[in-house]
This record gives sequence, C-alpha cells and structure tokens, in this order.
Amino acid sequence: MKKYSLVFSILLVLSMLLAACQTATTVPTQAPVEPGKAEEPTKATEPGAAATESQTLIVWDQFYRDVESNVLDTLNQEFEAAHPGVKIERVVKNLDDLKVTEKLALSEADGPDVAQVNQGRSDMGALVQANLLLPLNDYYTKLGWDKIVTGSIASRNSFTADGKTMGSGNIYGVSPTAEVVGVYYNKTLFQKNGWAIPASFEEFMSLLATIKAAGVTPISFGSLDGWNAIHEFSAIQHLLVSPEYINNLVYGTGAVSFDTPENQLAAQMLLEIADGGYFTDGFAGIGYDDSNKSFKAGEGAMTITGSWLASELIEGTDQEFGFFLLPGMGGKAGMAIGGVGIPFAIRQGTPKADLAAEYLTWMISPRAAQLWAEISYMPAMEVPADTKIEEGSLFADTLKAWDTVNKANLVGHYIDWATPTFYDTLVAELQKLLGGETTPVEFTAAVQKDYADFLAKQQ
Amino acid sequence: MNRLRAYPGESKYQGLVYLLPGLAIYLVFTFWPVLQTVRTSFLNWEGLAPEKNFIGLANYLQVFTDDKFWLALSHNLIFIIFYCLIPIFIGLLLASLLGRYPLKGFTFFRTILFLPQVLSMVVIGVAWRWIFNPTFGPLNLLLRAIGLGSLARPWLGDFALALPAVGSVGTWVQYGFCMVLFLAGMQRISEEYYEAADLDGANAWQELLFITIPGLRAEIGVALITTIIAALRVFDLVFVTTRGGPGEATLVTGFLVYRSAFLQNRTGYAAAIATILTLIILALSLLVRRYQAGDAWSKT
Repeated sequence: MKKYSLVFSILLVLSMLLAACQTATTVPTQAPVEPGKAEEPTKATEPGAAATESQTLIVWDQFYRDVESNVLDTLNQEFEAAHPGVKIERVVKNLDDLKVTEKLALSEADGPDVAQVNQGRSDMGALVQANLLLPLNDYYTKLGWDKIVTGSIASRNSFTADGKTMGSGNIYGVSPTAEVVGVYYNKTLFQKNGWAIPASFEEFMSLLATIKAAGVTPISFGSLDGWNAIHEFSAIQHLLVSPEYINNLVYGTGAVSFDTPENQLAAQMLLEIADGGYFTDGFAGIGYDDSNKSFKAGEGAMTITGSWLASELIEGTDQEFGFFLLPGMGGKAGMAIGGVGIPFAIRQGTPKADLAAEYLTWMISPRAAQLWAEISYMPAMEVPADTKIEEGSLFADTLKAWDTVNKANLVGHYIDWATPTFYDTLVAELQKLLGGETTPVEFTAAVQKDYADFLAKQQ
Repeated sequence: MNRLRAYPGESKYQGLVYLLPGLAIYLVFTFWPVLQTVRTSFLNWEGLAPEKNFIGLANYLQVFTDDKFWLALSHNLIFIIFYCLIPIFIGLLLASLLGRYPLKGFTFFRTILFLPQVLSMVVIGVAWRWIFNPTFGPLNLLLRAIGLGSLARPWLGDFALALPAVGSVGTWVQYGFCMVLFLAGMQRISEEYYEAADLDGANAWQELLFITIPGLRAEIGVALITTIIAALRVFDLVFVTTRGGPGEATLVTGFLVYRSAFLQNRTGYAAAIATILTLIILALSLLVRRYQAGDAWSKT
C-alpha cells in the first residue's frame, strides 16, 4: 500500500502540472499583454425595442470600456438616425472573447455583418484563408476610403487571398484608431532648465549629455519586462531604414535580412545611450510600469514609448508633459513605430454588404474622429478642425505626431510581428546587448538567425 | 492494507461507490487532460489550426536538440539548491532550535516563519520585484544606508545575479514549510534518545546529526519530494519577476512550456517538454523514495 500511495500522490501532483499545460489545447493563444488592453467584464448592449420591418445590422466590437463604448453608442445612434429603418444590434466583447468567438460566428449564416477582427496571421489571416471575410477593395475606392486611409495604413489590414502574406493583396478591414511611438518629455523640467525640443537625432544625443550634466536622468527606462526595449531599439532603427525595408521585414517579403549595417548602427546607438548612462540607473532591474511611475513623478526628463501612455500620464501628477517624434538623422523626417487599431471587417456572404460598408464609412468619418479625439483616444483619421482639443495639451502633441507621420507615409511597424518567435528573440537579445553580453554585430546576427529560420519555413 | 470489510447486511463494495464522484472529477479534469497532453506531444499542432498530424517522436527530438531546453533545465537544477537543499537545511536548523529548547513565543515564531508558505506566488513575486528594484527597492536602499552602496545592483536585471535572486525568493517561500514539517516530526521522536545522548555527553550538534535527522527521515523525504517538484515546475515566480530574462538568464522549463504553447503556438512541442519534465520529476521522486525505503513513511 505504502508504495502505491506514494506513486499515486506523485502522479496526482504531476497530473496537475500537466493539466496546467493542457489548457493550451482549449484556450486560444494570447498576444503579450499590451498596455490599455486589460481584461474587463464584457457586456452586451440590449437590442432596441422598436423593431420595424427594417434591416438589422449585427455589429461585434471590442470597445468595452465605458468611455470607448459611449463613442460607439453615439455613432450607432447617429447612424440609425441617418438611415431610417436601419437598426444596429451591437454586441460588445473584450478582445480576447472576441477572438475566441468570432471565428465560429463569422461562419454562421446569421453571424455578425460587421465585426472587429484583430490583424495578424492567426486572426485575420486565418479568417481570410477560410474565406470568411469580404474583400473591401471596391468599397475602398467607391466610398472614398482611399482619401481617409492612406496607402501604408490600408496595407496593414491587407492579406493575400490565401491568407498567407500580410500587407498585400486585398483589403479586409478599416481601422478607426491609431497609435505612434515617440518621446514624452517633462515640460516642467524642460522649462525650468531651458532645454529645447531637439530638431535632429544629433541634437537629441547632445541634449542627453546636457540633461545628464544637470544631474537629471535623461531617459526614464526599465528593461525588466523586455518588450519596451524593442521600442527603444526600433525607434532608432526606424530613423535609419527605409519604409520598404520595414514593410518587407514585417510582412516576410523580399527576403530581407536583419543582419544589416543599419540595424547594427541602431544597436550601436542604443548601446551608446545605455553606456553613456543616459537611461535610468539600474534600468535592467526596473519594470515598464515602475519606470513610468517614476517618470510621472518627475524623475527623468524623457521617456520613449507609445501614445497609449498619454491618458495615464496626465492623471494625478503636478508635472506637465509633452510629446514629440524622435527626430531624424540630420533633421531629416524619419519613420516612427506605429500602427492602427483593430479594424472593422465585413462577413463574407452577408446580404447587407452595402449597408455594412456604409457603416464602415461611418466608423472612419470626421464625426468619428471628433468623438475619439474628445476622449483623448487617437483616431486613425484626421481630426476635424472644429474639434475641441486643448491647445498645448499632451493629446494635442500625440495627435500632431501621428498626423505628421501618417501624412508623410512614415508610419512604421512593431517589428516583433515579423515571426512568431521574433518577440521572444528580440527581448532576450536586446537584454543581452544592453547587459554587455553581446556586441551590436552579434545582436543582429542572433536575431537574423530567428528570421532566416522563419523565412525558410515559409517556403 | 486492510481487506475490504463490510458491516453486516452491507455489500463490501459499498464504500467504493462513495469514491465515484471524486474519481469522476479526477478522471475528467486531471487524468484525461494528462493523457491528452501526452498525446499532443506526438502531434504537429499549432494550437488553433484544425490540422493535427502525428509526427511520432519529432517533437521530442526537437526538444533534445534545443539548446534553450537544456539551458532551462540546468536552471531548474540550480533551483533545486535554492528550493530544496537550502530550505531543508534552514528548516532543520530552525526546527532543532524551536523544537528542542523551550522558547517564549514559540507559536508566534512558528507562525511568522511559516507565513511565506501561505502567500500566493504572484503576490510574493510582485513584492520581491519591489524589494529588488534598483531605485526604490528596500534591498539597495539598505545597502546604501549601511555604506555598502557599491554592492547595490539591478538584481533581477543582472546576468550573474538574476538566477540566485529569483532562487532566493524560492528559499524564502520553502523553508517555513520544511520547518513546520520537521517540527511536527520531532514531536514523534522519543525524548529518551536525547536524555540518553545527554548522559553520554553528546552536544547539540551531535544530537541533531545522530538523533534528529535520522528520526526525521520520513519528513525529510516528504520535504525533498515536494520541494524538488516545486523547483522543477517553477513558473509563476519567474513569470512575475523576470519572464526568463535578462536574456535567458532565468529561463526555466515551465516558462519554456508556457512560451511555446501560448505565445508561439507550438502546442505539440510544449506538450513534449511538459511530458519530459513530468518524467524527470517522477524519476527524481522515485529516487527520493529509495532513500526513504524501510523508514517511517508507512507509519505516518
């Protein structure tokens, strides 16, 4: 008995361990947690009571937070008012729930007519492959979306018809919101010390020295969580490479290499910033949130991250903050990391495709831009001139930054999309680089190995 | 083991019926998923796609040729020092201090020392992340306050120190458990042995070595098994503190399983690692069982 009881108890413990792994087969994968996409309970809006003989448009979206949800509700009401006889049945889910349920729902004959579909190979790519999304190319020109959504942005919601290659082929969605990575600066500190916003990357580098000489941490940064180190590197990388290169890298086209002089130079410059002591002391042991807390409390003159941080930064602090794009080499306008939010797509086979397309137009209308801007949420579309945006506010800065790169077709990419393992590889290799374990040349070579493996498998 | 016995008028199998609900839950929620995991380890499956191809041992071959797996496993083995050996040593020391000599506030100390064991691993991880924080963490503040500022480090971000730092958190969690286990075991050791040893002139150290430790063989065995399992399957602490970084300095097998299965869609590969890990744990546990053989396990 004693033998069996022990073996049994060990089996019990082990089976729990294995059971934990087993969930992998039932729960779909989750992307690394992105800021501003925390889970909250979902809710479904009640369908309106007054049902007429009219058309009902079923819309699934993931704007579940109250302020965001209000924007959608307002837009929907105005859409109904502008289209007599049309009723919108809105279903709200958080992104994770949406991703899980919509694959099945979109294959149903009475599924949603319009749904938000996450970009990426495993979501939009899989749906395109299963022929569940309507190509929107005709509407794109017919309804004038091409004037609202510029080329580089439209391609973000594109896939080849086989669902295998991102960034080309048909357009399957339009995004109402956007984000851009740039430099937040502490206006209070800048004014007190007479520092000016740099006009070129060279000025930026000499500003770092000036700030450090004044006894202030130039760039508030913490690489313990890893992912934001990708942004610090890639922000510099974006200034050195061409839009074609970044597109090819992320879309897996053109067989480009990561092991290039530009990427080595970007790694070298990042290392100079780190070795120059321009990052927070002991940054390797500090997490993203902790680093931002310090920055918000007035420690550190600048921090490099995305526009999503803006709303968090302005609350509960006596410091004033601004935002500018990392200036280009020699003052030349460079690319900035950025992208568009989760796009709206139309179900293949819906009998209400035209109405659905009109709804999409509505979602990227000037009115939509205005409503998003009013809650300090960056719209992908240009904001109408009469929108109330506080002059000199942080949101005004981020908006201006997005407008600049978007109009100039200089919106880059989150490079960790390039391969399924790119995120983990980049994080580990950047930590090694910054920790002095590897050189810039070894860094690009190690990352290239991951990329080459992926390209080889794609063949 | 007693043979099945029945009260008059009852079937001797009646008792087994009462086991059924528990057994059913165990089979459905634990045993079946385990079998599924083992099955998955033979498949080429991306977790979402409907296609699953049987590829035999290919996943296992890939695991064995993956440098990252061996690196992660070596970190797990180092964790055995921090999760198992050091806590058992501290636990023995504390138990012999608290258990042998009457001490004022004994219950208080026992509770305080056991406390880390009842906290959630995630809470512990978050708390220690703050303690290790280079700028406002108490550890570095303390070092600077006592003039040892030169020793202050970005603990969790330092390539040489991250693994011992995370490991020492494991020590902090485990030693209380070992101590309580040993304290309970010591109550079973007859006082006469110690008296006899005292008469023979044995000192405290000799008593620990020749009476307490042999007397605690069963408890040490239990402590070894549970802490070794904890060291090999560690995931939560690494996930919360370092996510395997910096670089791969704290990468452990549990995190590799999570990363492969949930972030990289390599479900079959992850299942293979999990299965191998399970076999390793099983083997080590049986080894410890050997050490225990013929001892007091059956008496407990």
